[in-house]
Amino acid sequence: MTYFILRRTLGFIGTLFAVSIVVFATMNILPGDPAMSILGLEATEDALAALREDLGLNAPVHIRYVEWITGAFVGDFGTSHSFRVPVSELIGERLGMTISLAVAGMLLTLVLALSLGIFAASKHRQIGDWGVMFLSQLGIAVPAFWLSILLVLLFAVKLRWLPPGGFAGWDDPVAAMRSLILPTVALALVQSSVLARVTRSSALEVMRQDFTRTARASGLSQRRILWRHVLPNALVPIVTIVGMQFAALVTGTIVIENVFYLPGLGRLIFQSISNRDLPTVQALVMLFAAIVVTANFIVDLLYVVIDPRLKARQ
Amino acid sequence: MIELDTLSVTFAAGSALRDISLKIAPGDRLGIVGESGSGKSLLASCLMGMAPDAATLSGTLTIDGVDMSDADEETWRPLRARRVAMIFQEPMSALNPLRRVGDTVAEPLRLHFGLSRDEAAKRVAELFAEVDLPNPERRARMFPHELSGGQRQRVLIALALACDPALLIADEPTTALDANVALQVTDLLVDLSEKRGMALVLISHDLASVARSTERVAVMYGGDIVERGGTDDVLHAPQHPYTQGLLAARPDPQAALRDEQGKRKRLPTIPGNVPPLSGLAQGCRFAGRCALERPDCATARPVPHGPRMLLCPVVEGAA
Repeated sequence: MTYFILRRTLGFIGTLFAVSIVVFATMNILPGDPAMSILGLEATEDALAALREDLGLNAPVHIRYVEWITGAFVGDFGTSHSFRVPVSELIGERLGMTISLAVAGMLLTLVLALSLGIFAASKHRQIGDWGVMFLSQLGIAVPAFWLSILLVLLFAVKLRWLPPGGFAGWDDPVAAMRSLILPTVALALVQSSVLARVTRSSALEVMRQDFTRTARASGLSQRRILWRHVLPNALVPIVTIVGMQFAALVTGTIVIENVFYLPGLGRLIFQSISNRDLPTVQALVMLFAAIVVTANFIVDLLYVVIDPRLKARQ
Repeated sequence: MIELDTLSVTFAAGSALRDISLKIAPGDRLGIVGESGSGKSLLASCLMGMAPDAATLSGTLTIDGVDMSDADEETWRPLRARRVAMIFQEPMSALNPLRRVGDTVAEPLRLHFGLSRDEAAKRVAELFAEVDLPNPERRARMFPHELSGGQRQRVLIALALACDPALLIADEPTTALDANVALQVTDLLVDLSEKRGMALVLISHDLASVARSTERVAVMYGGDIVERGGTDDVLHAPQHPYTQGLLAARPDPQAALRDEQGKRKRLPTIPGNVPPLSGLAQGCRFAGRCALERPDCATARPVPHGPRMLLCPVVEGAA
């Protein structure tokens, strides 16, 4: 057990380290001169050289990596070229937005997917099952940005129930929540379509096992059997997919934040790429990667919580 | 208490149970024997209202005077565990692997009797002691994978007993267990049935354990009860050709393994196999494999007769 957690933790740190090298290397072999992108094409050779020295671009690559990664540990990602403020400040202002969006999207995904998946499994080969399968197929086929536009057209433009985009800050919580509803739904519908199918097939597999018959013979209601006996046993594949989906939700915010004009990390990364703002892009890519790796690390630990047999095997 | 009258179960492929009539009174111990596919387990699931959805039932099944043959899930649910309980063949897979076994046994107690967590835990320990599980409190906190096969089967028996059922159905409870553990489990079932005055239906293809633990026996073949009577009478003086074949196919540890020429003796077997549902004869199900077969056996439906119920027109019934 302790050995298992230790091994996973080492793996987690190792993965983060490898990711940081890949991110750093990719950013550094990109063509283009950061100094020139800051000063413009008309800058003199002397000014460029001075700026390069100033940015530390002349130091050997491994020194620059060590400086970047030690800075990153204490939250110092350097200064943004285009915004002229510390990258950490840019991230700090926007992290809350993206995390709330991703977490809300994940929660809605779980609620929709688990209830629809369990419902479909309980109505196996009946009309309810086919209905869920049809809707989820549709959900998977529709791209999130297109779905967002449809949602805006219906709920914001036509019905005028919700704002079409933008975010006025958390000072007015009700208004803030209202502006998050459509983006959350747009994020969650696609993911819950995938997860509902996984839940359904995993639950069907568990329902074939003998212990559900024992539960039924003990006079338990179908509802109780499904939620208390079938679902926990179906969780391992579900949690695996949820880990991957959380990653997809975090990166999915890039598209959604741009469609809904939300001031989050997704919009920031989009702007930084357009501005060739390398320190910001590098920090954001690293941050997104770290979120994904962390999500998978948590999933690994959850397996042991879910299934006591794994504890014995380790 | 439980009465089956000409209960039949039909699937699209054919009829799987034909005109089964049985009475189970409080405290009865009835054995049901037959090959795989004879309908024993299907009969058991009918007694729990758990026949497959694809099955069509006809005839009547009465529990405590109430006709349950058309009852839906909601009508059956209060009877399960409280009137009729069941234990299954595979103790390995019949327990939820993610739950402590004590919680599994406590669940129907809390649900049906509204016991508190502590009351239920106390009752679980008593039940575990009753089924001879050593260290009941400690066992209750274990997960199924931490128990042996025999212990898991005891947990399942405790679960079945939890709500004081009037009838316990044991569907091949010992098939997956070692021979000596199997014997202990069978003896435990008989003990419990005697102490609690609980009826027991033991489904088995192990004739020895049926002989040891039941008073009456029903022999099934192809969805029919072909012979039924006192366990001693039927197993010592079988009358139906199928029962005779079944008993002859049993290895006798006392018999010599080799004949006079030193050749290994072969066990007598019943020729042929149990045909699939769709291939069963309309008349006697055993037609085609029977040594006493007459030309009309395959087409004419045999009528049960004799003081010991016998389903064979060729053999004269006797007690």
